[in-house]
Amino acid sequence: PIEDLFSTLNRHIEQSEFEKAVKVADQVLSIAPADEDAIRCKVVALIKADNIDGALSVIKLSQSPTVDFSYFKAYCLYRLNKLNEALESLKSQENNPAAMLLKSQILYRLGELDACVDIYRKLQKSNIDSLEINFVAGLISAGKASE
Amino acid sequence: NPIVIDLAYNYIDFPSLENRM
Ligand SMILES: [K+]
Repeated sequence: PIEDLFSTLNRHIEQSEFEKAVKVADQVLSIAPADEDAIRCKVVALIKADNIDGALSVIKLSQSPTVDFSYFKAYCLYRLNKLNEALESLKSQENNPAAMLLKSQILYRLGELDACVDIYRKLQKSNIDSLEINFVAGLISAGKASE
Repeated sequence: NPIVIDLAYNYIDFPSLENRM
């Protein structure tokens, strides 16, 4: 039954066995092709297994009207250095910390350093671990090391 | 080049499967 597959999937996730997790997610999807949890698990497991191309393919093939993959999609595009497409995919996202962090990392790579640093300024109150490392990188690259 | 950490990666999370097992 599907519950047993999810138990197995959960165990693989807890043990960071991401390639095995992908296989079990596929087993779920062979029974229930539109299962949102299984699709999400597959996408995340592929990203964590460093198969960014694979994750992006699954996202593009998934026609789910209810799951919003735009953050995952933007992240994959960022990893593949398709930076303008990545920004485009973030446009539908609300301004949550994750979307803001990803946007600032994309802007950094694009050399849009003022915009990058602006986002880190806005995030400063959010208590994000290691944020200051990227903030400082942005400031130095923008020639604002004195800040 | 200054060090940049991929902080966005930390927000790539699995869904909770608690109610599926
Ligand atoms: K980066």
